[in-house]
Amino acid sequence: MSMEDYDYLFKIVLIGNAGVGKTCLVRRFTQGLFPPGQGATIGVDFMIKTVEIKGEKVKLQIWDTAGQERFRSITQSYYRSANALILTYDITCEDSFRCLPEWLREIEQYANNQVVTILVGNKIDLAEKREVLRQRAEDFAEAQSMLYLETSAKESDNVEKLFLDLACELIREAKQNKLDNNDTAPMPGEGKTISYLSCCSLN
Amino acid sequence: MLGLDSFNIDSVVIHTISIFFSGVCLQSPCSLLFEPVTLQPCLPSEFDVVILGTGLAESVVAAAFSRVGQRVLHVDRRSYYAANWASFTFNGLLTWIQQHHEESQPEEAQDWSSLLEEGEELIYLSNSKSESDSISNVQVFSFTSEEEEEEEAPSPDPPSIAEEQTGGAEEDAVKENSETESADSKEDDTKEKSEATADGDDEEQASQTEGEEPEADQPTTSAAQSQSEPIKKKISYPQLLKEGRRFNIDLVSKLMYSRGSLVDLLIKSNVSRYAEFKNVTRILTYRHGKVQQVPCSRADVFASRQLSVVEKRKLMRFLTSCMEETEEQQAYNGRPYLEFLCDQQLGDNLQDFLLHSIAMVTEDTPTEEGLTSTRHFLRCLGRYGNTPFLFPVYGLGEIPQCFCRMCAVFGGIYCLRHSVNCLVMDKETNRCKAVIDSRGQRISCSHFVVEEGYVGADRKQMATPTRSLSRAVLITDGSILPSDSDQQVSMVTVPPIAAGCPAVKMVELCSSTMTCMPGTYLVHLTCQSVGSAYEDLSPVVTRMFHTPESHDQENCPSVLWCLYFNMADGSGLEAEGHNLPSNVYMCSGPDGGLGHEHAIKQAESIFQKILPEEDFCPPAPNPEDIIYDGDNTSSAMGGEEEEKEETEDKQEKEEKEDKQEEKEETEDKQEEEEKDGAGEMEKEEEQTLQTEE
Repeated sequence: MSMEDYDYLFKIVLIGNAGVGKTCLVRRFTQGLFPPGQGATIGVDFMIKTVEIKGEKVKLQIWDTAGQERFRSITQSYYRSANALILTYDITCEDSFRCLPEWLREIEQYANNQVVTILVGNKIDLAEKREVLRQRAEDFAEAQSMLYLETSAKESDNVEKLFLDLACELIREAKQNKLDNNDTAPMPGEGKTISYLSCCSLN
Repeated sequence: MLGLDSFNIDSVVIHTISIFFSGVCLQSPCSLLFEPVTLQPCLPSEFDVVILGTGLAESVVAAAFSRVGQRVLHVDRRSYYAANWASFTFNGLLTWIQQHHEESQPEEAQDWSSLLEEGEELIYLSNSKSESDSISNVQVFSFTSEEEEEEEAPSPDPPSIAEEQTGGAEEDAVKENSETESADSKEDDTKEKSEATADGDDEEQASQTEGEEPEADQPTTSAAQSQSEPIKKKISYPQLLKEGRRFNIDLVSKLMYSRGSLVDLLIKSNVSRYAEFKNVTRILTYRHGKVQQVPCSRADVFASRQLSVVEKRKLMRFLTSCMEETEEQQAYNGRPYLEFLCDQQLGDNLQDFLLHSIAMVTEDTPTEEGLTSTRHFLRCLGRYGNTPFLFPVYGLGEIPQCFCRMCAVFGGIYCLRHSVNCLVMDKETNRCKAVIDSRGQRISCSHFVVEEGYVGADRKQMATPTRSLSRAVLITDGSILPSDSDQQVSMVTVPPIAAGCPAVKMVELCSSTMTCMPGTYLVHLTCQSVGSAYEDLSPVVTRMFHTPESHDQENCPSVLWCLYFNMADGSGLEAEGHNLPSNVYMCSGPDGGLGHEHAIKQAESIFQKILPEEDFCPPAPNPEDIIYDGDNTSSAMGGEEEEKEETEDKQEKEEKEDKQEEKEETEDKQEEEEKDGAGEMEKEEEQTLQTEE
């Protein structure tokens, strides 16, 4: 197998209520556009963007929920082997904030222990409709030891920062893990994807 | 790999839909998610296919339909995916057990006839909460201590002393427990008692002793190396609960044949990208009261210390020769495989290996069937590793979910905790026109696929009387055959331990499969039922493991916790021919086979009956090759249908080419692999895909 063209590969998973702007965040970051209209994107599993951080190439694989969050029916396998989770709510929608504890329960149940979680309040371009005060969200994030960031996928505010900060944090953790690499418990990802096993992926 | 042309082709499938959920129901989308069911948004009222139940076959069908552009609604009344194919955390499994002890609530039969139009008739489905039909005889035993162990100063006691003490303590336990046992079986209230045990009641047997090492603060990391530590720690029940989420305990126990239909489908469809797999590292068998490794690959045979040189030569010759059909073999058609093997003058050792562990058949299986199984085993050997099998990391319950994800990615709508109450049948055509969901919404559909559990017995036509599988799940503290590595995944064949007893298939999983907590092993036992699961399997458990009921088994791994239950065997059920509308297809539950052939075949046949012209699960585009509608290079937005048709031919062609290439590449790789042998695989295994460093 040829060497891949990156130094790090991270799987980032988005969660949060329907309509908070998860897909918009991903598309803003990976494609630099804000898709008009609300529609589910068909046939897209995850998006990929390779960024360079301090001279190291980091490939980010960003997974979206495929609409399964709408009826609270996300498959557990979606959370498996994620390196980072972006928990998103809509600052103009109190309910999307109130559902966060439920999401955290799911994370605790299915995601791996070392997963990096960041809380994102999206839609700050709609400041006049804000229902969740920044301070409240910050307090909540701190209590749950999550990072916190407010974004606007529409205006492209903090979107780049969101993913780059995450990438930095993941690199930091990866290096840390390498440092005190003492044969810790098997990490997710220890298994192999079939395509990797069989070398017949279409890559 | 994909040529430039394919960019346009892939982009065809990427279009934006905004038809669903844009109505009034979605006024406050945020409140929907975790609110009571009644406040959830309405579902669209029209689908091509409605699928009820998220077992393996149903999920594959869902992915297949969605992938070729059909509108799919996939629901399950349960709060989890995969039905009887599910895996649970330890705590989740306790809840499942609890549910099977509860009396099933009589269904509230609601009258939906007001939703009917002329010439229509309702067919009610069965939605009782507990799957009392398919699961029975649930029994739980816990042999761990109830108390969290107290901190003690590290004790330098040699292991022998610790073991003696343990043994003593457990002998007392044996008495008590066997009393409970016999009382149980007499009083016919086993369920209640065993449930009490599961809940940590006073039935639990303390088996810890003073000589043990105290609980470390991070049992997770250090326990993984427990093999190398002089003294084993006993794991307490509270610890199992605390670490409960590290378990992924499958209700079914199967393995994936590396050239079986499931692996082929995962690769073909690209669903494989949602899961990771581990090799089963060894095949074991239980003979003459001992666990032995079965040599099956060329390397194994030569490295084997149990086989004499003559045996090695004979075995190699047999394995080579049986790959081709010969006249000699044909002469044995209809006669037992055992007879054929006997006449090959292989000797008892090899004969047993070949019959029980390689062909995995019984003594009276006909020769042609035995040879087919043997060939399948041998063909699967060496594709990925030293054995013919793979196991999905996090358990088998992942597999149906992976197909569900694929369905959702292509627009399928998912709704757990949601069911279909009845079908609306057109009397004249005998077709199901619509379904009425658990909230009384009428949803029209062209086809309806249903898990058998939702269909009342009066409507099923069973070809053969329902058979049942006996299952046991053990959490143990050591491997049944300790080796250099404590991270082995073992397939164990246990021939009938006495006349009339069933042959038992056993799978031992280590913690790196992410199905059990470090320091423990998860052992699955399965056989065709003769009696109840406990009657069928506890004799094997008692012989091969240390439990309070076993004697002289101090060297065997101890059972910390175990569960027995019976599950209906789905192999006897056909997809069609039932007393149901002609466009309703039934999927059976798990069958007793080791592989997944039955479910995959069933899913494919349902798909082909409905859409005979379409490809079954064509490869999903690679995310890296997708061009999005926003990019100027393609115009996939709007008018999707037309464009789709235009390029469909092209797409098909492309896909065929891809497949061709894929095939060639696979073959090349296989040759390579076969050359490189086992060493190469081990190297690969150490690498990680997701956490590349």
